[in-house]
Amino acid sequence: MTWFAKTLRALAPNCREAIRLQSEALDRPLTWRQRFGLWLHLGLCLWCRRYGQQIKFLRAAAQRCDQDEAVDQTLPAAARERIKHALKDGK
Amino acid sequence: MENENPAERSGTQPAPALSDPEQWVDLHGDYLYRYALMRLRDPAKAEDAVQETFLAALKGGRSFRGRSAEKSWLVGILKNKIFDYYRKISRETTFTDLDFYQDEESDRFVADGLGQGGWIHECGPAEWPANPGASLDNEIFWKTFHECAGKLPKNVRAVFCLREMDGVDSREICARLGLTDSNLWVMLHRARMALRRCLETNWFGKM
Repeated sequence: MTWFAKTLRALAPNCREAIRLQSEALDRPLTWRQRFGLWLHLGLCLWCRRYGQQIKFLRAAAQRCDQDEAVDQTLPAAARERIKHALKDGK
Repeated sequence: MENENPAERSGTQPAPALSDPEQWVDLHGDYLYRYALMRLRDPAKAEDAVQETFLAALKGGRSFRGRSAEKSWLVGILKNKIFDYYRKISRETTFTDLDFYQDEESDRFVADGLGQGGWIHECGPAEWPANPGASLDNEIFWKTFHECAGKLPKNVRAVFCLREMDGVDSREICARLGLTDSNLWVMLHRARMALRRCLETNWFGKM
């Protein structure tokens, strides 16, 4: 193993760790060391860069899924009546 | 702010309650039901949550000027009901959930040797279309998205909804569901991993 590979392994996370760190970065600030290691890794690894973009897309999609008016579900009639009764009794 | 309306300042009549509780169901029922259904993914539970919300609102007995104020007040109550439900399920870790945690996509990473912990070549994340956002206008994408999310263990889906759909702060989620930070991070990481993989297989891979 070359000195380059050795140094890299000491400083940068492997893919498995890199995807975990990218996920955590969406929920908390990483330490400087973690950020540096991740930056180093992502500079060399197309897969993990993709992974990071894709989980960011998941977040964007999740935020939109509430506004999805295509989900045209209404409170079923039976439940509607039941709740109205419950409200009358509860008064 | 509300009292600055001159008509109301001069008027002697009490603030008009905008709607009678019995009308709530017709005015806000559908919206609340959709809101609950999106987060609970269970029609019966969503109906219950809506009913509990209205009953709690009745007890709270406040009146609002303006429908939107009334609606956001009701949504606030519903959010708490949903949190209660999430707290309940976050205590139940079932056997399949343990499998879910152990999996960790181990089959996709090199197990030992020089490249340990690296993606196995054929298993690395595939390239998605240049503009994946276009999928967000597609009904079938949403169907796939919800089906994939539906495969997550309930407690994992709950934290995913709170964090990613509603943007609730990590600390608040931990405090209200009784989780540790690292607990939450692991759950979110697994959720993203599984959802990403599921969408890749069932949506982006088929485009």
